[in-house]
Amino acid sequence: MSRKKTAFAAALAGAAMAVVPVAAQAANPIVVGITSEIGTIPGKAIANGATLAAEQINAAGGIDGRPIKLVIEDDHLSTTDAIRSFQRMVRQDHAVAIIGTFVSEVALALEPWAARLHEPYLITGAAANELSEYVHKDFKAHQYIFHAYMPAAYLARAVCDASKATLVDQFHMKTAVVMSEDAAWTKPLDAGYDECLPKIGLKVLDNIRFAPNTSDFTPIYQKIEQLKPNVIIAGWAHVGVQPTVQWAQQKVPVALAGINAQAGSDVFWKATNGATEGVITGSTAAPGVAITPKTLPFTDAYVKKFGYSPAYSAYSTYDAVYALADALKRAKSTKPLPIVHALEQTNMVGTQGHIAFQGAKSKFAHALKYGPDYVTGVALQWQAGQQKCIWPLKLANAKAKFPGFVPVPKS
Amino acid sequence: MLAIQILIDGFAISTLYALGALGFTLIFGVSGVLNLAHGGLMVIAAMIAWYLDTSLGTGPYVGALAGLAVCLVAALVTYGGIVRPIENSRAVPAHERELFVLTATLLWGVMIQEALSYAFTNSPITVQPLIAGTVSILGVRTPINEIFIAAVAWAVMGALWLLVNRTQVGRRLLAASINPRALTLLGFELDRIYLFVWIIYGLLAGIAGVLLGSFLGSGSDYVPGLTGSAFTIVVLGGLGSVSGTLIAAYIVGYIETLTAYLVSPSLREVPALILLVVVIYMRPQGLLGRR
Amino acid sequence: MSSIPKSRLAALAVFLVVLALFPLGANGYILGVLTTAFYFAVFAMSWDLLFGYAGEVNFGPTFLIGLGAYGAGMSNALLGLPVPLAIAVGAIAAVAGGVALAIPALRLSGPYLGLITLVSVLLLQQAIVIFAGVTGGEIGLSVPDVLSISSAANYEYALGFMLVSGLILFLISRSSLGMILQAAGQDQVAAAALGFNATRHKILAFAVSALFSGLAGAFLVFYLGTASVSAVVDISIGVRVIIAAVLGGRRTIIGGAIGSVFLIVAGELLRPIGQLSTFVVALIALVVIVLFPDGLLGLLPHRRGA
Repeated sequence: MSRKKTAFAAALAGAAMAVVPVAAQAANPIVVGITSEIGTIPGKAIANGATLAAEQINAAGGIDGRPIKLVIEDDHLSTTDAIRSFQRMVRQDHAVAIIGTFVSEVALALEPWAARLHEPYLITGAAANELSEYVHKDFKAHQYIFHAYMPAAYLARAVCDASKATLVDQFHMKTAVVMSEDAAWTKPLDAGYDECLPKIGLKVLDNIRFAPNTSDFTPIYQKIEQLKPNVIIAGWAHVGVQPTVQWAQQKVPVALAGINAQAGSDVFWKATNGATEGVITGSTAAPGVAITPKTLPFTDAYVKKFGYSPAYSAYSTYDAVYALADALKRAKSTKPLPIVHALEQTNMVGTQGHIAFQGAKSKFAHALKYGPDYVTGVALQWQAGQQKCIWPLKLANAKAKFPGFVPVPKS
Repeated sequence: MLAIQILIDGFAISTLYALGALGFTLIFGVSGVLNLAHGGLMVIAAMIAWYLDTSLGTGPYVGALAGLAVCLVAALVTYGGIVRPIENSRAVPAHERELFVLTATLLWGVMIQEALSYAFTNSPITVQPLIAGTVSILGVRTPINEIFIAAVAWAVMGALWLLVNRTQVGRRLLAASINPRALTLLGFELDRIYLFVWIIYGLLAGIAGVLLGSFLGSGSDYVPGLTGSAFTIVVLGGLGSVSGTLIAAYIVGYIETLTAYLVSPSLREVPALILLVVVIYMRPQGLLGRR
Repeated sequence: MSSIPKSRLAALAVFLVVLALFPLGANGYILGVLTTAFYFAVFAMSWDLLFGYAGEVNFGPTFLIGLGAYGAGMSNALLGLPVPLAIAVGAIAAVAGGVALAIPALRLSGPYLGLITLVSVLLLQQAIVIFAGVTGGEIGLSVPDVLSISSAANYEYALGFMLVSGLILFLISRSSLGMILQAAGQDQVAAAALGFNATRHKILAFAVSALFSGLAGAFLVFYLGTASVSAVVDISIGVRVIIAAVLGGRRTIIGGAIGSVFLIVAGELLRPIGQLSTFVVALIALVVIVLFPDGLLGLLPHRRGA
């Protein structure tokens, strides 16, 4: 046998060895569909979070030996594409469950299809209350849907809880103006703000809603400035850069807090050329802050794999994939109803906190449970180019401080 | 106080609208082309300026120049690769050329938008203002950048006016816009004039794109909106009429600002759109257009 | 027209039978793709009647489509009308919109009309957002009823609808109406001098185009189970319709159908390249338009100029 031939045989044997276990495993993978908006930061994060979770689960032996196979499809922010791709993943790929989308409008269009096709569907980023209210409305028909993120009402509660502990208790702020983009998720958010802000001692002077395609925010800021509030409580996700930049460029003398979802991403500093200094936003997690023992290992693995830090939807999707894998193990089945019943029993530590779903009786059926014992999110503030955690206080690594042009009330 | 605010804010917005639409109307006036990839070119300039400045650390000035250069190249590609082949094509009947140019540039705009979204995601960005800080004008706190933008925009528009009205080449441009056939008869090459006007157009779109990016932000999702607003202003002012475009830009800018201040920010665009429909219906040639 | 060879008719019949029997062989995925493509085909064919024959630059096909879709969706979701009746309401709303668009079209042409039609879409979009209480606003409107949840049934509905619409539009285009529209589109004065009432014919063309756009929009709503701005009103949808019609071959009616199926199937085939698929589809369309202005139909060897 010539050397060449030996080498060839060895390579062949090696290849065979490499192929055999994979082939045995791949013989029967469990398919999970991901629907998302790959061109956007939160949409890309959904795909990334799912990819990372599936890789880790497969490396640890999969689900009783069967690997998870992800099918990731881009819905291009279009409901038509999303519905078509949802149907395709159910019928063609036989996905046992579908996960994704951070756009409430898309998720609401997919929900009836999850119910019609009896497909377990976990929403990981969209926030409209209607998503889990839909499940509650006709539980038997809609039980396949899980809102694996917080409904807007809880996001509002988290903002109020955070504002109470920081803005009110530490800085004696008394008045606020709510400023939200016109979108599905901000209607319940604003309702939540209007209800809970007065309770924590922040008087709501006005509630301004603006079109998401607003280009110039000067008129809004001028109007707000005349009301002389201490803080603007935002409800922004589709917009973010433009209002933040104009707030800083025009030195609007009012603190900026609430939810400024894009400010939760670490590229926001660059996108705004640093105008985000001093901006406070509710988010899922903050760099270097261990909400649970799983948070930091996840963030590190994510940064190592993708080269940038995870957006909020990466956390919720990563947790959802683990919750699904866990449910599949317990259910010992890939049929819809056993998966749904197993998901309902979810009780695990995730990256965002303790993950459990609410029951049928809850107004937000199948949404994540909220509270210090479950998931609350964090409030973070941009300070000198860094995202610092300022709430919950037990996790905080900085105290809030404001740019020079924002006056802070004297006690 | 409110009146002064509306005056200042409306002025800045309107000036940018004017600058953005100027190149668009110039191209139409001289060569009869409506370039629906217009917004794409403006966003290219802004994204390149932003990327060089923040990611490669070249500083805002080098970034802005590079954005301008890339925009110019993109404008020439639009002309040489799309508009010219269609205009010279024998397979396209003359009366359908307009629609073919519209459709082709529309597709080109979609390609630019998708490519930008692929390269930089569709998240909006802002170009770093060339001058930071604010100044008080009659008690209204105004970013210096806004004043700077208005000054640059007017300087550019002034230069363009001089070029068209006071130079040899400018007169040829005017002649081409009035009667291209006569110009050919006089022995001038229309091709060279068109090339020249596309170069001016590329520079105008680039300057407008970078300035707009530092004031209102930019991003791949801005592409259709920017094309639409230039189209609206240019038709309202009268296709091909430079002074009509300027007037229309200020009318639209101030109506939008007034609506945003006095009615509701979310209804900002509606009255201007209704005005447009009424004006076109009553006076199809636009405010100052000739027919 | 009357001299279509028998062999061609036979080939066409065989082709249609194969199309109709598709659900026996193809899986749900392919059927789903084609179902959407067929509704899009009707959008594009209706648009071609207006542009190709009447010479009207309509940048706002989604104004008509959206009226049909929301008319149908709202009457089903709010008034509880059964699906067929709701589709009829949508069609009526679209025809009303079509006649409203025809009024400026009598005075305007070229880019001016183009802009008016574009603005009509923007205003419709704003109205949907402003009256979110009844339209569902940005969220979109979920309709309680769908045509069917079976892919095969949905496919047959869409195929049947496309064939009937296509046949009617084709016959109209080859009738005296089509000829008069074409004459008036190229030279209105000459057409009037020949004694044709261009006004009446133009309004009729808008109404017919609106009728089929609206019907297709309404059907699409009951296929998707939802009416939303992004699915039936957004400018980008209108752009796709125009591209499909020009790509397939303008002034042929059938070209619209071919262009639509091509665009949507190409989009699906290019799915593996993910985000760049739209880019590549736009590039292909651009190359075809610049190099082969007669579109895909123009590439067929036997076709003579229309």
